[in-house]
Amino acid sequence: MNLNTAKNLIVLNVFLCAAAIAITSCGTATFSKTGSDAQIESLRNFELAFIDEFAVPGKRFNAAAFDAKVNEGNAKFQQAIADEKFTARRPVLTDLKGQFDADAAHLRSKASRGKVTPALASEMKKDVNKIYDHALGR
Amino acid sequence: MPSAGKPKRKKSSGKRSELDSALDQVTDESVAVSMKEFQDLLAQAKGDTSELIRQNAQELEERLVLLKEKKIDKEDFDFFVENQKRDLRVFIDGQPAQTQERAEKLTLHILEIAATKVVPVLIMMI
Repeated sequence: MNLNTAKNLIVLNVFLCAAAIAITSCGTATFSKTGSDAQIESLRNFELAFIDEFAVPGKRFNAAAFDAKVNEGNAKFQQAIADEKFTARRPVLTDLKGQFDADAAHLRSKASRGKVTPALASEMKKDVNKIYDHALGR
Repeated sequence: MPSAGKPKRKKSSGKRSELDSALDQVTDESVAVSMKEFQDLLAQAKGDTSELIRQNAQELEERLVLLKEKKIDKEDFDFFVENQKRDLRVFIDGQPAQTQERAEKLTLHILEIAATKVVPVLIMMI
């Protein structure tokens, strides 16, 4: 093997290594982004189910069940924020947590006084879907 | 203040929305000016090129109608306005500086007028 061939082989190897690193990083980023999106979808489903369970006109308000669900939600959001690999996504998750807090406070206030209407429930779900769609860049 | 009398203003063309019909019943001159400003801004927002501005205007109008029909109350309306503001602030901050003022006028400003000037009028009509 002459000197030129050896040099060419080294350059080729360096190029292949760089390409491999770049491809692997992209794959990891895509995979993590998918995971992050799935986490946000999971939080959306939790919040919609929460509204479905407690924003029911005429249903007797069960404070203990409500508090338990809110605590479960708080834990889910805190875990999601702590686990988020994309630092840029953390403020988005914090905004979503803010929405959950606002929904829980309003729902508690209305449900505990028996003032839930069908329109309230459907408009709340509309807002939840909108903010989650925006969080996902849709 | 509102009265059930003859509508004071009429637009020259286009289908009148349920909200427009209600606001057109305002006969008090000082209140009517605010209602006219609101209706004009809402019409601008509903025809804007930005989907988010159009969507915001549409939602606001629907919720004012729900309030008038007593399907939601003022607490609910104020809660939804805060939700809309929270969502919009991110959008406005992301706009180029030269379009931020217009975006704010067609979103946050409309919500403010609705909450402070239009809602009291609608509640009096109920």
